[in-house]
Amino acid sequence: MEAALELARGPALILAVTFMTLGMIRHVLLTIWESFRIIRRAGDRDIPYRQIWKTTLRWLVPVDKVRNEPVFSSTSIVFHVAILIAPLFLAGHVVLLGGWLGFTWPAIPNILADVLTIVAVLAAVALVVQRLGARATRQLSRRQDYALPLVVAIPYLTGFLVMHPAWNPVSFEAMLFVHVMSANLVFILLPITKLSHALMLPSVQLVSEIGWKFPSESGSRVGAALGKEGEAV
Amino acid sequence: MTTTSREYSYYVEDRTREATDRPRRFLEAFAAVLEHSSYGLALDTYSRLSAKCSRCASTCQLYEVTQEERDIPCNRSELLLRVYRRYFTRSGNFLARLGADFELTDEYIDLMAENYYRCTACRRCKSSCPVGIDHGLVTHLARWLLAEVEVIPKALVVSTREQLEGIGNTSAIPVNALTSTCEFLEEEFEDDYDVKVRFPIDVEGAEHVFFPAVSDYLLEPDTLMGNAAVMAVTGGSWTIGTGNYDGINYGLFYSDRMLERIVKGEATEARRLNAKKILIGECGHATRSAWFVPTFCGPEAPPVVNFMQYTWAQLEAGKIPLKDERIMERVTYHDPCNIARAGKITEEPREIIKTICADFVEMTPNRTENYCCGGGGGTVSIDEIRDFRTKLMGKRKADQVRATGAKYLIAPCANCKKQLREVCEDNGLDDVEVVGLHDLLLKVIDFEPYKKKLAAEEAANEKTTEAEEAE
Repeated sequence: MEAALELARGPALILAVTFMTLGMIRHVLLTIWESFRIIRRAGDRDIPYRQIWKTTLRWLVPVDKVRNEPVFSSTSIVFHVAILIAPLFLAGHVVLLGGWLGFTWPAIPNILADVLTIVAVLAAVALVVQRLGARATRQLSRRQDYALPLVVAIPYLTGFLVMHPAWNPVSFEAMLFVHVMSANLVFILLPITKLSHALMLPSVQLVSEIGWKFPSESGSRVGAALGKEGEAV
Repeated sequence: MTTTSREYSYYVEDRTREATDRPRRFLEAFAAVLEHSSYGLALDTYSRLSAKCSRCASTCQLYEVTQEERDIPCNRSELLLRVYRRYFTRSGNFLARLGADFELTDEYIDLMAENYYRCTACRRCKSSCPVGIDHGLVTHLARWLLAEVEVIPKALVVSTREQLEGIGNTSAIPVNALTSTCEFLEEEFEDDYDVKVRFPIDVEGAEHVFFPAVSDYLLEPDTLMGNAAVMAVTGGSWTIGTGNYDGINYGLFYSDRMLERIVKGEATEARRLNAKKILIGECGHATRSAWFVPTFCGPEAPPVVNFMQYTWAQLEAGKIPLKDERIMERVTYHDPCNIARAGKITEEPREIIKTICADFVEMTPNRTENYCCGGGGGTVSIDEIRDFRTKLMGKRKADQVRATGAKYLIAPCANCKKQLREVCEDNGLDDVEVVGLHDLLLKVIDFEPYKKKLAAEEAANEKTTEAEEAE
C-alpha cells in the first residue's frame, strides 16, 4: 500500500498535473490566438467589449440567473462554490501546496471544510438526480453528463473519509490512495472534457460575439473555394 | 447511390431532390467556411464546453409548447457540432479510427434540414446559457452549409433569385410600379390630409437613401406614409433609389454568400446616389442585415440608421409637431428579435409610443428577453408551415398579446407584422390590429406648421418668378 500511495502522490500526481496544465495552456493559447486572428481578419472590428465583459462577469456570479430553473441552478451554484473553496482552502492542502509553490494563503477552519465537502458530494448527487428527473435534461444528457459530477465527487467523499478515520471503512492509506488517484483522474479529465469550462468559461461571451465578425470577403471566398462564383442563385 | 425521400415540412425546388453526393459536398463546404470565415473558434469552444444543462429549453418558446427532444436548442446545435467534432477535430478523427460510429449521411442531412428550420434563430436561448453558447449562430451556419448542398426552402431562394438576378427586389416590383405607387401615396396625402408630401426618387446627394422591406410598397402603405410624413415635417433629406429599393436580405437566413451580395448591393446604391447614410424602414432583419455593411464593405461604408432611431431623435428635438389628441386605444409593443435581442433598439420605439399613445402596456417579458413573433429566421415567408408558426412557435406570443388586452399591436418589422396577423387570426385574437409604429404616428402628426411653411415658400417663389418676369 505504501508503495502504491507513493506512486499516486509522486509520479502519478506529477503526470496528471502536468497533463492538465499543458492541456489548459494549449486551450488558452489557441483561444487567444484564434480570437486575435478573427478580429484581425474581420471586416467590422467594432466589438462591444464593455457589453461582453459585463455579460461575462454576470455569468461568473450568476445569482440573478437562477429564476428560470430555480432548483437546478441553485444546486449548481452551491456545487460550484463548494468544490472550489473546499480543496483550495483546506488547511492541509494549503500547507501541501504552499510547500510546492513557495507561498501560502489563509485556510478555512476544518469544520467549514467538512461542511463544504459534504455539501459538494450531496450537490453532485442532487445534480445527477435532477438531471434524471427532469424531462428536458433527460432528453439532452449524454453518459458523461451523468458521470462527470459523480467522478468529481469521489475525491471529496474520500477526502472527507481520510479526515474522519472513525467513518472510514478501510485503512487510512487505502482511502488516501483512492483520494489522490481520483483527484488525478479529475486533473486529467479537465482539459479533455467539458470540465475545461473551469478555465475557459470567461472566454465564451467574447467567442460568441466575434463568431459573427466575418472577414469582408468571406462569402465570396467560400463561393470561390467551392467553384460557385458564377453560379446562379 | 441511395437518396432519401427529401420530403421536408417546407417546399423545396426540384434541384434539392436531385442533388447528389451531399455528405461529401457538405463537408467540403464546411471546410471552406472554416477556412474563410469566423465560425471555427465558436464551434470548437461550443463542442468542447456544451454542458447540456437544459436552461435553453426553459427559454425556448417552441420547446415550451412542444416538449419535443429535437426542439431543445442545445440538441439542435449538437446536430452540427457532432459533424464538426467528427470531421474537423483531432479527437474526432482519432475516435473514428477507433471505430466510433458517427458518419455524415444523406439521412443525417435531412434530419438537419428539418430541424434547423424549426428554429427562428431568435437567439433568446443565448441569454440563458451559462456557458454563453449562441445557438442562433449555429443555426445560421448550419443553414448556410445546408444551402451549399441545395437544401433551401423554396420561398427563400425564389425571392433571393428575383432580388439578385431578376427584377431586383424580392417582391418583383418593377421601377415603374414603384414610382406609380409613390405617386399614388402622394395623392393619398393630398386627399386625406390636404398636404403635399413627397416620396423623392433618385435625388443625388440626399443624406439618406431609403431601404424599406420592399413588400411595404404592396402591403404597408400607412407605414410608408408615416415615414414620408416624418421626413416632410422634419425637413429630412432622403431619397428612394431606383437602382435598389429593397431592404430585405434573406441571405441572413440561409447563406452568407447571399448576405454579402445583398449587403454590397445596398452600399453600391448609396454610393451611386452619393448618399451619406443607409436608412432602413420598419424591419428587423433588414436592419440587422444592414448592420453587416461595415463587415462586407469596410468601415468607410455609409452608416446604417433605422427609421425609428431617426424619428425619435427628431421627436426628442421637438421637430415633429403633434396634434393635441393622442391615440386613446390600448397599445402594446412587440420587440423584433433582430433589433432588440442584443439591446440595440429597444428604447427609441418606446419613447415614441409614450409620446403619442395614452394607454401603453408592455408585454412580459420584453426588450432583450422578448418572445419571437414565431416567424423569425425567414420562416414567416414559408406559407406551408403556417400551422407550425402560429400554433406552436407563435403560441407564447399569442398568450402574451392576449394578456395585454391591447387593441393595437405595434410591430415595426415587415416579417413580424405578417406573422403576428396570422398568429392573431389563428389564436382567436380577432380584435387585435397589427400596425407599424409610423402608422400610428401618422395619425397624430400636426401638418399645419408644415403647410404654412410650404405656403410661405410657394409665395416667395411666386414673387421671385414675378420679379423675373417683370425684368
